[in-house]
Amino acid sequence: MIIYDNISIRIHRQELFKKVSIHLAAGDKFVLCGASGSGKSSLLKCTVGALPISEGSIHVAGMELSASTVSEIRARVAFIGQEPVLGAATVREAVLLPFSFKTHRHHSPDEARIQELAGRLHLPMDILAKPCARISGGEKQRIALLRALLLDKTIFLADEVTSALDPESKQAVMAELFRPEITLLSVSHDPEWVGACNHIVEVADGQLKEKTG
Amino acid sequence: MTADLSIPAMLAMYALMLVPLAISFHLQLGIVRETLLSLVRMTIQLLLVGLYLKYIFQLNNLLVSLLWLVVMLVVANVSILNKAGLKRRLFFWRSLAGVAASTMLASGWFILVAIRPDPIYDARYLIPITGMILGNCLRGNVLSLERFYSGIRKNENEFVTYLLLGASLREAVRPYLRDAVKASINPSIATMATMGIVSLPGMMTGQILGGAMPITAIKYQIGIMICIFVAMAVAALMNILLSLPIAFDDHQRLRPDIFCNKT
Repeated sequence: MIIYDNISIRIHRQELFKKVSIHLAAGDKFVLCGASGSGKSSLLKCTVGALPISEGSIHVAGMELSASTVSEIRARVAFIGQEPVLGAATVREAVLLPFSFKTHRHHSPDEARIQELAGRLHLPMDILAKPCARISGGEKQRIALLRALLLDKTIFLADEVTSALDPESKQAVMAELFRPEITLLSVSHDPEWVGACNHIVEVADGQLKEKTG
Repeated sequence: MTADLSIPAMLAMYALMLVPLAISFHLQLGIVRETLLSLVRMTIQLLLVGLYLKYIFQLNNLLVSLLWLVVMLVVANVSILNKAGLKRRLFFWRSLAGVAASTMLASGWFILVAIRPDPIYDARYLIPITGMILGNCLRGNVLSLERFYSGIRKNENEFVTYLLLGASLREAVRPYLRDAVKASINPSIATMATMGIVSLPGMMTGQILGGAMPITAIKYQIGIMICIFVAMAVAALMNILLSLPIAFDDHQRLRPDIFCNKT
């Protein structure tokens, strides 16, 4: 589902990865572990073309990442950062933001679906009316996830998405992302999250080393 | 006819500059040299333009007037890109097209539809009107380009989030575009709202001093304000839209190498 073929990543003249390859099959749950600054988040960003790779190729859902496929890949992949940007004034506007873009305009979710998913993610029902500036980091993470789930995406790039969550909310998020049909590439230091993944990849010195899961 | 200013009168005007210079010196603002230099530059530039315009008005030749307009457009364009901190090498032609099209649209409308002088390319109308519109466009464009690109740089995570949520480049830049165009035309809206009360507009004052009837001067002032507003809005939008294919790479990432090194 995601193939990194001999890719190198160089950011601000610093080589983060040198000719690394990984292959994620559909439904795989990968987690990248390693020191901060080792390039884990950059690798995730490169997958959706938010950062450039200096050599090699990336294939997502059968498409090689290029100028002609980047929009399609972005439409297929959900990226949820550690501190997600909601990009709107209120939570409701943030949740509906992707549906204001041409790509998703005809797939607007109904209220019942939003409420149902919000409930599954342990979000309070009145949160949709709140301004984004007034909600916690953990709520932001779950709203970003809610938004991705509403788009029916099955490929997820998740960067420390449980870092601000209480145990109950974390369970709710994990229940969504560890469904069999979801392909997950994540960054996490949480032992429970790492334990739930079927591939654990250590990132060090610009190389990837798979540990036995 | 306007009363001429004699040389002693001009010297008296220059003497008035001693007041701000004294303030600057007293407060150690460190701008005495800069102020004097600007004063000298202004004097020389205006003297040269005065001489030049005298001949252009006498000649009243379409080609000569157009050549002068091209010079004004090129100088304004270079100034816009420099002040907005964008590399001239990359944006020169696109920015020139935006500024030229919007300025020509507004001044063309004013001259061809409203004033209709004889001959239609009369330099006494063509050059001052285009110059006034262009001068205002320059300020507006610096503001809009600077605001647009600094907005995206400051909010890069937000911009990338829009892209990752499925926005096209046009859709992802829309909030910054809106903000930039607003920033460039807001001062004009405020100026129009207070015109005649807080400020006495330059064109109107000039025409009255030149002996025109106040009502004629007011009509011209209204015309020029509308033209300035139209040109600023069109130029702000056009310049940003025309710059997009250069400023973003084929993955819609903002290219870091489009900015001049200064911050």
